Amino acid sequence: MSPTLVTILSVAFITFITRYLFLEEKLPLRLGPTITQLLSFSGPAVLTAIFIPILFFNNNEIDISVSNAYLWGGVGAITAAYKTKNIYWTIGFGGILFIGVGIYFNL
Amino acid sequence: MLPLSLAVLPFGVLFGSLAIQKGFTWLEGQLFSVIIFSGAVQLVTVELVAENTPFVALLFMALVVSSRHFLYGLRLRDRLSTQSVRWRIGLGFLMTDELFAFSNHRRSYASKYRLYYALGAGGSFYVAWNIWTAMGIFAGVALPDLSNLGLDFAVAAVFIALVIPEVKTMPTLICVLASAASSLLFLFYGFELGLIASAGIGMLCGYGMQRVRS
Repeated sequence: MSPTLVTILSVAFITFITRYLFLEEKLPLRLGPTITQLLSFSGPAVLTAIFIPILFFNNNEIDISVSNAYLWGGVGAITAAYKTKNIYWTIGFGGILFIGVGIYFNL
Repeated sequence: MLPLSLAVLPFGVLFGSLAIQKGFTWLEGQLFSVIIFSGAVQLVTVELVAENTPFVALLFMALVVSSRHFLYGLRLRDRLSTQSVRWRIGLGFLMTDELFAFSNHRRSYASKYRLYYALGAGGSFYVAWNIWTAMGIFAGVALPDLSNLGLDFAVAAVFIALVIPEVKTMPTLICVLASAASSLLFLFYGFELGLIASAGIGMLCGYGMQRVRS
């Protein structure tokens, strides 16, 4: 088996275990309130830590200039998500700002 | 679920084309989506493999990025742990951020009808995700410069759409802000495990805020 295949299979196994583990009835599980509360923040914390670098990191450096289309798009998406809570508006409004600013600074 | 299936089109296409760009074969690229079926985990894995990250560090990252699934499992444990093993494995495998967000209804999974409904929603999302991946793979082979088109913005936008509506309380706001601020700091200093560290800091700050307020 190629190393790549081993990697994909291992990651698939880990991902499945994280999804399945607590659905298993036989798991003698009592999670303390601390862990449960800590875990309740895992979604927003992880997803934020993934999307922030996409917005700020371009060409291997932090870009906080007005010509960074990702930042404009991100601000637009956050505003739309806050106002509408709708995924289409979020992607649509953010995407339009992202593309618009990108075109403006590249032409 | 259809809106979400369509909304992750750019994400899926991005993943497929990125896998090709980073040197994976089309079969490997598709295999990611067939057996892992988690956009964030797949993207992070592709990036880390391309950077020659040590195998153990890579598995650890996959565990961290995937760890929010523990929470979903905990939330659904009461309803699903008494179902047959086939339901648990099937719906467990399909439990994406999107399906979990979609299944927040108080009667979700509470009846056979609801179980099939979730299976349909999760299953259609799985099929869509694999079609988008295949499209990205084709595009990546045909147009090697595709990732310069800014498809990765779509990834950020999908995650923003998943995070922002969840920010309903002060502790969650603090968690998100702390995670964002520390991820910027780690980016600035080029810290390799920034994703894990900033997620951890975000969780601790959110939890701390909750303790302070109660």
